[in-house]
Amino acid sequence: MRKQESLTEYLDWPLFGALIAMILMGLATVYSVAFNEAVPSIFNFSEKYGRQLFWILFSLFLGLLVFLIDSDIYRKFAIPIYLATLVLLVVVLFMPAVHGAHAWLGVGSFGVQPAEFAKISTSLLLAKYISGLTVKQQTTGTVLTASSILLIPMVLILLQPDAGTFVVFTSFLFVMYREGLTFDPILLKFVNAIPGVRYKETWVGSHFIPILFGLVFLSIITLLLDSVVLNLNLFGFALELSGSTGVIFGLLLIYLISWLVMQRFSTRRERTRMMVVLTLGLLISSAISLGVDKGFGMLRAHQKDRIELFLGLREDPNGDDYNRNRAMAAVGSGGLLGKGYREASVSSVRSNHVPESETDFIFCPYAEEWGFVGVLVLFALYLFMLFRIIVIAERQRAAFNRIYAYCVAMILFYHFAINIGMNIGFAPVIGIPLPFFSYGGSSMMSFSVMLFILLKLDAQRKDVLR
Amino acid sequence: MNLDARRNVILVFIFLVIGIYLFKLFYMQVIDETWALRAQEIAEKRKEIFPPRGVIFDRNGKKIVTNQTYYNLMMVEDSIQNLDTAAFAKLIGWSTEEVRNRFKEIVEGEGTYFNKISGKRTPNYQTIRAYPFLKELTLEEMSKIAPHLANFKGFYEVATSARNYPYKSAANILGYLSEVYREEIEKDRFYKPGNTIGRSGIERFYEKELRGVKGIKYIVTSALNNAIESYADGKYDTIARQAPPLKMGMDVELQTYGEQLMQKKKGCIVAIDPATGEILSMVSAPSYDPNLLVGKRNISANYPKLARDPNLPLFPRPLQAEYPPGSIFKLVQSLIAMQEGVITANTGFPCDKSLVGCHNHPSARNIAEAIQYSCNPYYYMAVRRIIQQGVKKNNFADAAYGLGKWYKYIRSFGLGGIFDTDVTGQRPGLIPSPAFYDKWYGHHTWAFSTIRSISIGQGEVKLTPLQMANIVAIIANKGWYYTPHFVRSIGKDGALPQFEKKRWTMINYRHFDPVIEGMRRVVNEEGGTGQMARLSDITVCGKTGTVQNPHGEDHSVFFAFAPMNKPKIAIAVFVENAGWGGTWAAPIASLIIEKYLKGKVSDLDKEKRILEAQIAYQTNN
Repeated sequence: MRKQESLTEYLDWPLFGALIAMILMGLATVYSVAFNEAVPSIFNFSEKYGRQLFWILFSLFLGLLVFLIDSDIYRKFAIPIYLATLVLLVVVLFMPAVHGAHAWLGVGSFGVQPAEFAKISTSLLLAKYISGLTVKQQTTGTVLTASSILLIPMVLILLQPDAGTFVVFTSFLFVMYREGLTFDPILLKFVNAIPGVRYKETWVGSHFIPILFGLVFLSIITLLLDSVVLNLNLFGFALELSGSTGVIFGLLLIYLISWLVMQRFSTRRERTRMMVVLTLGLLISSAISLGVDKGFGMLRAHQKDRIELFLGLREDPNGDDYNRNRAMAAVGSGGLLGKGYREASVSSVRSNHVPESETDFIFCPYAEEWGFVGVLVLFALYLFMLFRIIVIAERQRAAFNRIYAYCVAMILFYHFAINIGMNIGFAPVIGIPLPFFSYGGSSMMSFSVMLFILLKLDAQRKDVLR
Repeated sequence: MNLDARRNVILVFIFLVIGIYLFKLFYMQVIDETWALRAQEIAEKRKEIFPPRGVIFDRNGKKIVTNQTYYNLMMVEDSIQNLDTAAFAKLIGWSTEEVRNRFKEIVEGEGTYFNKISGKRTPNYQTIRAYPFLKELTLEEMSKIAPHLANFKGFYEVATSARNYPYKSAANILGYLSEVYREEIEKDRFYKPGNTIGRSGIERFYEKELRGVKGIKYIVTSALNNAIESYADGKYDTIARQAPPLKMGMDVELQTYGEQLMQKKKGCIVAIDPATGEILSMVSAPSYDPNLLVGKRNISANYPKLARDPNLPLFPRPLQAEYPPGSIFKLVQSLIAMQEGVITANTGFPCDKSLVGCHNHPSARNIAEAIQYSCNPYYYMAVRRIIQQGVKKNNFADAAYGLGKWYKYIRSFGLGGIFDTDVTGQRPGLIPSPAFYDKWYGHHTWAFSTIRSISIGQGEVKLTPLQMANIVAIIANKGWYYTPHFVRSIGKDGALPQFEKKRWTMINYRHFDPVIEGMRRVVNEEGGTGQMARLSDITVCGKTGTVQNPHGEDHSVFFAFAPMNKPKIAIAVFVENAGWGGTWAAPIASLIIEKYLKGKVSDLDKEKRILEAQIAYQTNN
């Protein structure tokens, strides 16, 4: 009993408080958006708000259970937990498809999405694995193992297909970057294969992840230009290029300019080195640009549509861009102070203008009801939560705890950024929930468990000697 | 390597995203109005309800223009599920191929727009919108389809209203409706694309009176445009109101009868009630069934046919055929000459054929005889006295002075211009003024000898049948007229104010008696040219005319009023290429008069002869 008291004592109350505030705001919004005059009681499970209340209570109960278990098991059992999740992710592929995706495991209306829990188990295993490494120990094997921990569930999730969760998994890359995971071992193998070149580390390898995001940006540019035919008129030579060729052409230009600049300003010794970096950069960029171009052609129709609409390649307010256009109209009509609670005329479930307005598009009714001021409050709350998690992360003695905390922060941030981005035209409509806000048991439970594991780890941080 | 610095990379990333998001949200919610307007467009929908157009009655309270409910079979592509094309085609009596083509046709019919972003032409067609699959089905047609529609998701019926003309006549008077043009929508926001607007005739002139008051219903709609609930409990809604009925002065039975008499002939009949100026009938032959031009489907099928018909059924002869009036003009000349005092009722002139050609008849000893014999030299003499009054020393100046006076008299008959009335598409005809001849010949270069042919209604003078019928009405009234018009009253209001103003000519009523006596003799005395218009118990006063036609057989003209003592109908009849006025125009006029005054005709042989006659009419088309 003494130990139990000490646990509540060490609970991080600010984070817990923010969590409860978020949950209550979400519940209030679900109540408003799905309100049924015939059943005004929030304790009636026939309505969505009733069920959401049940999920919240059940999630808090799960949180309590998590709190009662010694945090040591997460590190100890990270591998079995991860493997079990993988099994579930495989099993779910053989379940009947719901809305075109094999994502649900379970019977009838009571189902869970293994992908939700895969986030936790991947976080745990990644934390366990990386915490056991030091920068100097890194080899090709360690890099590949760390990447595989990420890639295996990602591939399985893409097979469902669940593009949203797939994208969320890339948040782990930031954690890996934060923890100094370098891709040098792999990169050096290639670079040092070139005669006369001998490096111990490369800038590209250690900053691989930001560079990767740069390349994603490049890919998006490629897609944007995909359907455009560029007409170039160079010194009397009329040149017609397809979009992707144009991007490669542009990259080549940048390469040449950099090369000229280098010839002029750098020493001979630096020159060789930078030439390698530049040439590699050009080759990889071109390859990715071409790959994106070809890969886009192979995507499924509805994914293609979403990407096209996301990139603004098509404008069709009543067609495929329908959801987002309506969501944006709902958000935009909120004004500074909002229309008032339960006055969301565009995004209420009953008016049915914004589909999924109680789940993926829950930000719509919230922003419509409370306006920009409400948005500020919500953003402040999320930001507070994220910063609090990072503060918690940085005060951990154990690397495992810190890495796990960063995982949680980045997952929450990803969900937040993509979900709200969906509502304001900054992200494709890929159907991921707003944590602690959206209606739905699976996400409520998984986020609660995820956060309570963090709270528990934090509460027990002083037990850890390392 | 200091990894703690990398925490800042992540923090900067988070701050950047949140900052950009807040900026965008602030812009969307607080600064930019477009999303709020879009939201309004989505959620609070104005639904405009168009009332059926006002109905139209004739002078006897017979409904001549009504509305009939038609049905459109609508389809929403997104709602269509597992369409059994074969069964559906069978239901609507088409082949499966036709059904497939119709789908393509709808998509293509919507056209495309240029998408600036993709740089491609993109169809306007949207799968969530409703489009008419079949248009303008009758109740009968729809009742066969409707019960089975439940089996074909995505198809439903919608009722629309369209004009119906139970008497199948008066197409030239009533006009027709057609879809509004884009410019009309821009000019008057009452209309929405696909609405109809009066395109000619009464439908056009009284468009604002007939269209009624549009109702506006504010509704909250779902994503698929289904109404969910009325907005604010209908607080802002207004109710659509049908326009009050129009009552016309026309007698629809008479109009229909006139069109029958004129079948297989070209020409026109204009009948006016002289006491009120109401047009009783205005036939433009050949006529056509106004129901042929109801609805887009009919118009596109029938309009080209009518327009290509060599008999020109769409040409509004009573209003736009400008004929030299011929002998009929002599009545007006008689009146002016008497009013000017250049002759009296008993002035006689010898029939001097050296002045102008004439037929063989005794010399006219007075006005009545001059009219009875339609003596050309008589009017040569009489009109010369009007034009050359000897007031000015210079012969040319004298002619200009005389014609100036004459012109004023003529204008007081409402000639030489168009009537300010609800008869649309009038042509003014031509009454030459001194200025007209000055321009033509030069100032002081013309005299009566130059312009003498106007004295017998030839030469430059041109009148429309409507103007000629109004001359008869003036003679019947002995000096005044009301502007000829169609509509007697709009709802509980009366007619337009300009129809209630009595317009006086410059002729004293006394001078009409000898003219009327002459007209009586034309019909009722042996040797009169209009004996075929004679009726046993009604005194018809008339005047024949023959309009010279340089392109072929002369046009037969007759005009008349009856009864002599209390005129109730004034009528002008033109039969193109029918030769002398007494043969065809006079009997038609008498049949119309008898039909109007007594409700039936007694001389069935006369009627039969007219109905069977085919004059200069091309049937092989």
